[in-house]
Amino acid sequence: MVTTDTIRRGLIKGLETVWILSKVIIPVYLVVTILKHTAVLDYIAVVFRPFMQVFGLPGEAAIVLVLGGLINIYAAIGAIMSLALTTKQITILAVMISFAHNLLVETAVSTRVGVSGRLIVGFRIALAMFGGVIINIFF
Amino acid sequence: METAGFQLIDVLTEGLKGGISSVFGIALIVIPLMIFLEIARDMNLLELISKWTRPLTRWLGVSESSALPLAIGLIFGLAYGAGVIIQSANEGEMDQRSLVLVSIFLACCHAVIEDTLLFIPVGANGWMLLGIRLFVAIFVTVLLSKYVDFDTLKDGEPECE
Repeated sequence: MVTTDTIRRGLIKGLETVWILSKVIIPVYLVVTILKHTAVLDYIAVVFRPFMQVFGLPGEAAIVLVLGGLINIYAAIGAIMSLALTTKQITILAVMISFAHNLLVETAVSTRVGVSGRLIVGFRIALAMFGGVIINIFF
Repeated sequence: METAGFQLIDVLTEGLKGGISSVFGIALIVIPLMIFLEIARDMNLLELISKWTRPLTRWLGVSESSALPLAIGLIFGLAYGAGVIIQSANEGEMDQRSLVLVSIFLACCHAVIEDTLLFIPVGANGWMLLGIRLFVAIFVTVLLSKYVDFDTLKDGEPECE
């Protein structure tokens, strides 16, 4: 049954989520913004350009994939927001990150069911790359 | 030196302002969504939603009892989905093959409403994100289901973990 308690629980969960994501998004946004004003981001952009080109992404977007994969979607969002990207590029990153995010924590959850962790991580990264290439080519 | 100092403050301000406004845009979506999800839970909308995931169980070639874990994982997220899977497995409702396939599918594709809505204020095309994500995850899991023998896979793996 829906009561005021339902709404209150939702509100608390929402606020908790916002608190958790702000603790990640704000520092990431800040750090990437600082990097943008140094040579580090240019260096990353050059090094990753050949790999990221496959997905139609600039080299510096590699930061988004690494942060999303190791930390979570919020960290990836912080990085996306601080970079200058087109709608198509953001959609490609969103699909890739949706498939492969928070791999350390979520793999621990998945293996509780008894499935191989390596299999799951490999599969998620493969899907991320497949999804990225598909949008880049067909849309 | 002084100009460098001013620049640093500008950069920090730019970073903080941008970060806070990103969080604000997302809060506008996350808070109503969480309230909605709680309402859905208390209205027992899950029974209804597991009707929608029944065709999915056929495509993936898993048992019909997988419809509920699929619905919960797709909407509420991996942790909830895994919880229900473990419960179903303990009660003997899910066979080995369904267990592994549903776990793999949900590992790749979960909490789709929240994830999609999160990326919209960021500037992504939400429909394309949701559509492609579901399509690719279903397509590839169907291929796995057809060509990989999961009954043996699960039994062989636990030693490695």
